[in-house]
Amino acid sequence: MLFMDFSRCCERLEGTSGRLDMIDIIAAELPGLTGEELPVFVRFIMGRIFADWSSRKLGIGPNLLYEAAGAVAGISKEKVIEKINSTGDVGQAVEELLSVKSQMTFFHEELDLVHVYTSLIEIAEMEGKKSQREKLLAVRRLLGNAHPLEGRYLARILLEELRIGVGEGSVREAVAKAFGVDSALVEHAQQALNDMGEVARLAKVGPDALRDVQITPFHPVRMMLAQQGSIADMIAEHGEIAAEFKYDGSRFQFHKKGNWARLYSRRLEDVTGALPDVIRQLLDATDHDVILDGEVIAIKDGKPMPFQSVLRRFRRRHDVAEAQEAIAMVPNVFDILWLDGETLIDLPLSERRRRLEAVVTQYVAPQVTSGDPAIITQTYEDALAAGHEGIMIKVPASPYSPGQRGKNWIKIKPEVDTLDLAVIGAEWGEGKRAHVFGSFLVACQDAGRLVPLSRVATGFSDEQLAEVYELLKETVLKTSGKEVTFEPSLVFEVGYAELQASSNYEGGFALRFPRFIRLRDDKDISDIETIGSIRERYKRQANSAQAYQH
Amino acid sequence: MLKATIDADIFKEAIDAISALIPECRLHTDDDGISTRAVDTANVAMIGLSLKKEAFDSYKASKSQLGIDISKMKNIFGMAGKGDLISLEMADNAQKMSVSVHGYNYSITLLDTNTIRKDPNPPTINLPGKIVIKGEDLNNALKAAAVISDKIALGINPKDQTFYLVAEGDTDHIRRDFSKDELVSLTPAEARSLFSLDYLKDMGKVMSKAAEVEIFLGIDHPVRFSFDIAGGNGHVEYLLAPRIEAD
Repeated sequence: MLFMDFSRCCERLEGTSGRLDMIDIIAAELPGLTGEELPVFVRFIMGRIFADWSSRKLGIGPNLLYEAAGAVAGISKEKVIEKINSTGDVGQAVEELLSVKSQMTFFHEELDLVHVYTSLIEIAEMEGKKSQREKLLAVRRLLGNAHPLEGRYLARILLEELRIGVGEGSVREAVAKAFGVDSALVEHAQQALNDMGEVARLAKVGPDALRDVQITPFHPVRMMLAQQGSIADMIAEHGEIAAEFKYDGSRFQFHKKGNWARLYSRRLEDVTGALPDVIRQLLDATDHDVILDGEVIAIKDGKPMPFQSVLRRFRRRHDVAEAQEAIAMVPNVFDILWLDGETLIDLPLSERRRRLEAVVTQYVAPQVTSGDPAIITQTYEDALAAGHEGIMIKVPASPYSPGQRGKNWIKIKPEVDTLDLAVIGAEWGEGKRAHVFGSFLVACQDAGRLVPLSRVATGFSDEQLAEVYELLKETVLKTSGKEVTFEPSLVFEVGYAELQASSNYEGGFALRFPRFIRLRDDKDISDIETIGSIRERYKRQANSAQAYQH
Repeated sequence: MLKATIDADIFKEAIDAISALIPECRLHTDDDGISTRAVDTANVAMIGLSLKKEAFDSYKASKSQLGIDISKMKNIFGMAGKGDLISLEMADNAQKMSVSVHGYNYSITLLDTNTIRKDPNPPTINLPGKIVIKGEDLNNALKAAAVISDKIALGINPKDQTFYLVAEGDTDHIRRDFSKDELVSLTPAEARSLFSLDYLKDMGKVMSKAAEVEIFLGIDHPVRFSFDIAGGNGHVEYLLAPRIEAD
């Protein structure tokens, strides 16, 4: 497939708003692709380059892209940035630059989809002190051969922000439709493989290939997530339920085969190097080959430390030994996904728990199973008394559903209303905060689009503002007066008193008394609150308000 | 097979001419000498270079191709002093080349020639205007323009019999007219094309060492620079695609 054909497909999708129409467009392309093209097409169309389980990074920042685009168009990087500021979109800016590019070339090579992908692998593998220069040349070659429309999508893929509104759900349906397989089967294979590209390739082979997939050690799968709910509802619905402490730490996935072990974060980044102590503890806890799910907490003087101290260790690349001394990291293992070559995610929790207890001798998080609300409530009180966040309650008969925020796992914690929101803009601060950003525009998501929801200006310490400034300054897309727009990359947890209907923000809601709680650098932009869940909260809030009035 | 010795300065001159455009190249060797032809990553500039066997102190080679990491070679010359000889030696189909200079013996791993872009065919173009100018004069004019702008127009005014360079910056402007007296020769024909100084700056540095540079120009056409290296025993041609602005 030529990259031009891929680009035309993206353009059609971008101009289509109906989800079913989008699925049809994608499904129509898939059968014609070769086994080599299929995974690339599927990942690219979702704006991804590498498999979701892979921690491989392209390592191309906006500045490198601007410089390459400038070189190809025959203008300075500053002019490229001006263009991006005026269009507000990198893809569109590159497209316009290429359409009026003044620099003639001697040859033109048509870009091929697979060739673009192999070039991106080469770029990702460039290392060392000359790698930025080599990456620049490689990007120049790609852009130099790109037609304007190709430039639009190539630029966005290079920055891993395609944003044509194609979500994993649509691709799943399209794969099912194109190859005549059940979409539940596609979903299941995706949960185990965590690479929709490979799933599409298997779907082309046939339903048996999808059915036979196994989890691969060192290909992390997504974490199963929890909803909010109540103890009473869970017991009413399921009878006996399993309760575990909800630890205020960082989620991890531990993979071990023989003596080789890796640890992955909630975002599936390899954090092995930052937590050698946790690796050692877990290696000592089992002789089996396993994939475990758990939460690592920081303990100082016998007490759990706040979440921030765990995160600091997750981020740490240097002086790990020194940090190890100060705070003890303790893993709490609560699930097992794979054991000695066997994928366990389809087994009921009770059976997984039995196997977990059989093969892991230490660090297994205690679990209480009961149908008695008083016992579960007591567990909740115990959790809070011990300094934990609350409890998780789980349906004993439920499978492990990677990436799903379903009704099988429920979190119970004291009512604090917070939302995880993406930082999309800011205003420069004033007075002593004049050199950092002072007020932030935060957004939720709606089908892959970011929708502004509120401004947050309080709750920050000066250190936090400085830290946030450092993290954001490289991502500025556009500046006008005091206002800046960011390439979305950071997630804030924002507390609020009340959700209000409002026409001030595009989402139709505003937050009353918004305040910054903490930086969620364990979360991705794709993890932020959806407009749908905010509508739900608003409805719940309205219901409980009525309850008080009556 | 290659077994040759060459004055370090002469070889450096040749490698510098290549490195102005590309970081790696495919070198052809045969009875008569070595040559390369390459286009830069962005397909904007081309180089053709040949070094005759007369440029070497001793030279023996069979027909072959070598993948050379030009940046690495440049670093090796850092070891050479004035008047040093460099000796190059490579067996048939070898993956490595021995390079000896100033008592240092390197064994350099060659690049796989399959990974280097295939030799470009130079386009056939008719460039009616021709200027012969001192390399140093040309380089000085390019350097002066680079202060003002990132692009420069090269042209011939047939009426005044001048070769001119004009650069337009955001706020500033520079123009240099070379009268016929200041040039070695001029073949007048209406010509004017715009080029990126990004490329010309690097080429200019190399050309500054040439006694004479032939410049071939047309209207909105590529420019060709042609000049000798290695005391006349080598030759370089640069071809640079123009910038064409819509306005």
